[in-house]
Amino acid sequence: MRTLKTLALSAVVGVLAASTAWAFPDKPISYIIPFGPGGESDITARHQQAFFKGLFGQDLVIEYKPGGSGAVAWAQLNAAKGDGYTIMGINLPHIVIQPRQKDVGYKTDEITGVYMFHYTPDAIVVNKDSDFKTLQDLIDYAKKNPGKVTFSGSGKGTANHLAQVRFDKMAGIKTTYVPFKGTGASVTALLGGQVLASWGYTSVGAKHADKVRLLAVAMNKRHPKLADAPTFKELGFDLVSGAYRGIAVPKSTPEAIRVQLSEMIGKINAMPKFIERMENDGMALLDVDYKGMPAFMAEMTEVYEKAAREAGVIK
Amino acid sequence: MPGIDFLLAALTPLNLLLAFGGVVAGTVVGALPGLTATMAVAVLIPLTFSLEPASALIMMGAIYTGAIYGGAYSAILINTPGTPSAIATTFEGYPMAKRGDGDLAVTLACIASVFGGLVGAAFLLGLAPPLANVALAFGPVEYFWLAIFGLTLIASLSEGNLMKGLIGACLGLLLSCVGVAEISSDIRFTFGTKVLLGGIETVSALIGLYCLPVLIDLVATPGRHLKITHESKGFRFKEALGISWRHKMNLVRSSVIGTIVGILPGAGGSIASLVAYSEARRSSKRSKYFGTGEPEGVQATESANNATVGGGFIPTLVLGIPGTPPDAVILGALLIQGVRTGPNLFTQGEGSIVYTFIFGLFLATILMLPTGLVIGRYAYRTIVTLPKALLVPGVAFMTIIGTYAIRNSVSDVFLMIILGVVGWVLNRFGFSASPIVLGLILGPIAEQGFVQAWTIGAATENLAGMFFGRPISLGIIAFIFISLFYPVVRERWIERRSRRHGT
Amino acid sequence: MEPDKSRDLGTVAVSAILIVTAAAAIWDTTDMADSDSFVFPRAIAVAMIVFSVALIAWTLARGPMARPGEEEGGPPSTLRRVLLVAAMMVCAGLMPWIGFVLAGMGTFLAIIAIAMHDPWTRFRQVVYPTVGVVVVLGFYALFAKALLVPLPVGTLFE
Repeated sequence: MRTLKTLALSAVVGVLAASTAWAFPDKPISYIIPFGPGGESDITARHQQAFFKGLFGQDLVIEYKPGGSGAVAWAQLNAAKGDGYTIMGINLPHIVIQPRQKDVGYKTDEITGVYMFHYTPDAIVVNKDSDFKTLQDLIDYAKKNPGKVTFSGSGKGTANHLAQVRFDKMAGIKTTYVPFKGTGASVTALLGGQVLASWGYTSVGAKHADKVRLLAVAMNKRHPKLADAPTFKELGFDLVSGAYRGIAVPKSTPEAIRVQLSEMIGKINAMPKFIERMENDGMALLDVDYKGMPAFMAEMTEVYEKAAREAGVIK
Repeated sequence: MPGIDFLLAALTPLNLLLAFGGVVAGTVVGALPGLTATMAVAVLIPLTFSLEPASALIMMGAIYTGAIYGGAYSAILINTPGTPSAIATTFEGYPMAKRGDGDLAVTLACIASVFGGLVGAAFLLGLAPPLANVALAFGPVEYFWLAIFGLTLIASLSEGNLMKGLIGACLGLLLSCVGVAEISSDIRFTFGTKVLLGGIETVSALIGLYCLPVLIDLVATPGRHLKITHESKGFRFKEALGISWRHKMNLVRSSVIGTIVGILPGAGGSIASLVAYSEARRSSKRSKYFGTGEPEGVQATESANNATVGGGFIPTLVLGIPGTPPDAVILGALLIQGVRTGPNLFTQGEGSIVYTFIFGLFLATILMLPTGLVIGRYAYRTIVTLPKALLVPGVAFMTIIGTYAIRNSVSDVFLMIILGVVGWVLNRFGFSASPIVLGLILGPIAEQGFVQAWTIGAATENLAGMFFGRPISLGIIAFIFISLFYPVVRERWIERRSRRHGT
Repeated sequence: MEPDKSRDLGTVAVSAILIVTAAAAIWDTTDMADSDSFVFPRAIAVAMIVFSVALIAWTLARGPMARPGEEEGGPPSTLRRVLLVAAMMVCAGLMPWIGFVLAGMGTFLAIIAIAMHDPWTRFRQVVYPTVGVVVVLGFYALFAKALLVPLPVGTLFE
């Protein structure tokens, strides 16, 4: 009798759970960006927002929670309600580096990522009129003048900085990295001739196509919209890196909803128009779904930790 | 040059309505401390998905320009800059309001804002591509010296005790270091707490340091908040227009300063109005009376900060480098629309959206005159006639919700209140808030400029040339010396001359 | 006007506190590895100590100065000041628990009482609290609905 009751009850619960899963989302989802408006994290989220309602019938509401290079928001992620209606943008290498510097209120493996949807590949950028026509020119110059090649880049412990450290080692050169507040300031310094080159992103090449040249991009294959720029791999350096962006949920979010969110973001990622817009902006799409996240994070953590240690960003 | 067709495109009834609504909404947003133009513009981004892009942009520009003007209200009436751009407006605006000229100050601010806005927009329309190069000519070391130039204002703001001003500035500079460092990404001065991780947010610090002491003193006595010396005189528009005409050079100079500083992506409205204030004070015949409610000061700061709107769009549209945070959001909206920025926007056919937008900006700025006067009048009346038992809770409540909304953070509210109490105590002992605020705002610019210039200088083995060998830097250094020593020299000179005339 | 020793003592005390603050800042910079991070704050902290020491020396050497004029409208009430700050703190503290609307209304009403210098007429008893409730609800609508600010709902009600 009792077993029957339990059975019936669990059946009802099962049906209920299934039906709620079907109904998700039945109200707007808040999408928290751990940075201020106007940055690349915001713009890529806005690209997703534009397609969300058409696909899933609900609004994706973007909220900003800037502070501490994102740390403030990530430290509060797990305190949010885990019902699938609160999701948060996550960025690499930030969530790997920050907790290893000091106690920032969260640990890398406390962040439950459900999808990594794109990365902006690192690239060496020079002005159009620069004497560095190829990557080899730059390497030759740097070998003759150790430390004299100045690179602007966005901040320290960032994708740009870690790429610089890794590339210096691969090429056996010594260069100077000058950190700026964000990519905009870094590009301004390059265009103004304050530095010889810049560790920037492919998006810089797309945005300032008339003024800059990409000596090499840190991708597996050439970027479809920047076909002139060779990859580091082609030139003999095994460097694939960039600023990775994904979406995480609070730890208390049920498994079924995690999977569903992951599928939803994957669907946006497959929209030809979304792909086109992202690639026009110089981004590279990525499809790491919920299942693939642990392996991806393990791999990236290892790479970034090593580079950050060499860069002296973490002890 | 753009044709009349773009003007007509901007003048559709819908666009007029959006520009009008945008200016009104922007003015209100700007007047409420804590609500920023950036936030208001960001909220509108989804509109660009459904609305005609040019129309949505016009509305965004209108909100932005309205917000920069609206910041003057709270600066004048409750000594709290509604936006960082209005910090310097408190210097003369609040003393004016205290002695009963709040209505005049608001009307002056309105005229100055419209004038500055038009100048900035005119430069954007006519000279954007060449002027964009200004943004590139400023390197780290120039920003460093610009920040130092801003800090020289402390000498004139510290009301008699320079040492206390300098200490306040140091405190502000240290406070600006709290949290995750913007460029070295080290975590500083958090002393193990997570509350300080995000640093001290500028706007909440402004609210705390400027507004809370006013509230604390307001609640303690039954006296009126602002003096009323006269019966309602209406807008005092003629009087304000007269003052504006007499000091037209001040308006022109401040608007040009505002435009140029606006072009610099690392500076922004707060620095523009500080520099304009400093110059107005230096060149005024009445510089002695600055700090006690000089209309020229309000004119300078308000024309300069509205000129940064047009100025800031110059690098945004020509180079794709946002001049100010709201510009970054608007640039994002353009990118989502697939508009590619660049000089092409100003020469080729695809410029239509940009020219429609610029004419929309003109339109919004002109609309600001009537709406600004009316809203300003209303704001003044409200603050003056509201009984204290409603004014104090109203403003206190606004500081709380405003501070919260900047980063959706309760700990920012606590920080704001604590800073306010600290600021009040310091003020009792002669340490005024403005040097601390100056340090807080200029700190990151000075630090980043210094670190970058030092790194580049050391790499190229030319440190001296880096700091003292670049023409723009030398120009700014010259201005630093002028603003430090000119008042002393001039006083001596006047003294000597009067002595000679006396004998 | 009477010379006021307490004011000078205050200046000295404040300067001393600031020196301690600067020292703490310098101590905090010692575990920073990157010179980009510590050069600037350390230089500023040293400058602050120098200025503060100079100010203390100057204040003690100069002797007491005249007290500036008191505020108009009678002696200020310290109690009201403290209560105002306390009310604001309590509001911020309660917001995450009882939600923005309740905390805001409570604080608004409390501060009306704190800032009330006039007699409570029947009119004021009715109108002032009503205004408070309307203002809080109006701002709630503006922020939460129009500007999409996620104001705290209150964990007690979830």
